[in-house]
Amino acid sequence: MIRFDQVTKTFEHEGGKLTAVDQVNLEIKKGEIFGVIGFSGAGKSTLIRLVNQLERPTSGRVLINDQDLSALSTRELRGIRRNIGMIFQHFNLLETKTVYHNVAFPLLLAGTPKNEVKEKVEEILDFVGLKDRAKHYPDQLSGGQKQRVGIARALATSPSILLCDEATSALDPETTKSILKLLRKVRDEYNITILMITHEMNVIKKICDRVAVMEDGSVIEQDTIFNLFSNPQHPTTQKFVQSVMNDEIPASILSEVESRHIYRVTFNEGTAGKPILSSVAKKFDVDVNVLYGQITELQHIPFGNLVVEFQGNQEEILKAVNDIQQAVRIQEVKVDAS
Amino acid sequence: MQVNLLEFWPKILEATNETLVMVFIALVLACLIGIPLGIALVVTRDQGLMENRPVFNTLNIIINFFRSVPFIILLVAILPITRFIVGTSIGTAAAVVPLVFFSGPYIARLVENSLLEVNKGVVEAAEAMGASTWQIIYRVLLPEALSSIVLNITIATIGLVGASAMAGFVGGGGLGDLAITYGYQRFETDVMIVTVILLVILVQIVQTLGNYLSKKLRRL
Ligand SMILES: Nc1ncnc2c1ncn2[C@@H]1O[C@H](COP(=O)(O)OP(=O)(O)OP(=O)(O)O)[C@@H](O)[C@H]1O
Ligand SMILES: [Mg+2]
Repeated sequence: MIRFDQVTKTFEHEGGKLTAVDQVNLEIKKGEIFGVIGFSGAGKSTLIRLVNQLERPTSGRVLINDQDLSALSTRELRGIRRNIGMIFQHFNLLETKTVYHNVAFPLLLAGTPKNEVKEKVEEILDFVGLKDRAKHYPDQLSGGQKQRVGIARALATSPSILLCDEATSALDPETTKSILKLLRKVRDEYNITILMITHEMNVIKKICDRVAVMEDGSVIEQDTIFNLFSNPQHPTTQKFVQSVMNDEIPASILSEVESRHIYRVTFNEGTAGKPILSSVAKKFDVDVNVLYGQITELQHIPFGNLVVEFQGNQEEILKAVNDIQQAVRIQEVKVDAS
Repeated sequence: MQVNLLEFWPKILEATNETLVMVFIALVLACLIGIPLGIALVVTRDQGLMENRPVFNTLNIIINFFRSVPFIILLVAILPITRFIVGTSIGTAAAVVPLVFFSGPYIARLVENSLLEVNKGVVEAAEAMGASTWQIIYRVLLPEALSSIVLNITIATIGLVGASAMAGFVGGGGLGDLAITYGYQRFETDVMIVTVILLVILVQIVQTLGNYLSKKLRRL
């Protein structure tokens, strides 16, 4: 659907060059909610703006349905942009226009007949739950309502792609939740591919199917939500995962790992809820003591993380660990490992 | 004093009318020049919709030039141009020419400022929707800035009222001319007071109207 092929974007400014996006390769599938996370300045906004060519790549290609966007004329590009909706952190609504006319705006630009406009706008306002606000002006709306207008406007031309640049970053947690729910509904009902950019791991965790982590213009890691959360590779990814999973081992335990046998056990889909620990305790001559942990849900898959201590003799512990390894991921906790 | 005013009343009415006509015509022409210039400044500037440094720099210098010449000097300096355009260098029509040269560039600057105040994000949103450059100017920049443009043009109009009073210098007629020829040169103090009061009222009306219109235009 959307493909980045070795895409680089360099900005020239006095005193040098800045590579905002650096040889990025990504493939986003139809109907998927794909997240891009990174710290400020990582190049996320530049990346998303490459999709509708608000930025032209310095090198590499951006393809939508196998069509290379950089080969298009300005006119052709305008047509393509009608197929790509975009929503923004600060909503970017026309202040002088009512909700109705804001949503009708992209249709007006496209020269849609008036009666069709009316029908479409009413349908979408209903979809985003703002039917009764059609005559209001943006300054009479809350942040969440403004973003709903933004979403309605982005959907007016029935696009197949929706770009979200920090769409919930200006909203409180409750409103964020409701907007994310709405975005999921957008995907489920219209089968729209959503590319979403954020610096909040919570947002990724709640709604995305897959995620890419960006740092200094490069994609340093990408995977399904489940894999990325359960097994983050890059230190930056680990930091992001920790920001919502909080799987850091408490200092009090960490200070004693040398003298004790402490392991981290990672459960997932098939294994969460199975009595793996108690069964090894029966099978071998060891005691298992849970020190710390949590279970959460990622994409409807239960996912958990336990820090456990084995007590018993070395040999039995190794046997027990080997046994557990057949079923789930288990790693010895070392001081340097955190 | 009573007698005096009664005697001058028709003259005062005529002068008021001349001022209104002068200001109105000059304003319309200045807007016709200033608004497109203001738009041109915004779209040709760095990062503008049609970035074009040579055009921007040229416009910028020309506008700065006219903005830096005091009106009274401009009035005299462009007399040959005035004569060329209207065929004479005295009278109300002749006064309009320097007024346009004076306020056209001023309005260009004011319009530029108003347009620059428009949220860049809204322009970006329109671009993302596939708007053409003209659609962005016509459907986003101008409507969003309209309220502010009207307020700014109100300021320019009041400047025009003041400048038109000076046009008396070229025998342009109007309230200023009246004040100078009778009030100042012939010591008819009451005539001067009446013209000043009329000017004050005129300015109040213009400002009130501008404020009202501007407020209305915040919601289109
Ligand atoms: N038009 C531009 N001209 C020059 N430099 C730019 C431009 N746009 C972005 N940059 C630079 O590119 C880098 C990446 O910017 P970008 O906005 O893509 O980051 P981001 O990940 O979206 O950050 P944030 O989370 O703060 O929005 C930054 O260092 C920024 O200063
Ligand atoms: Mg950004």
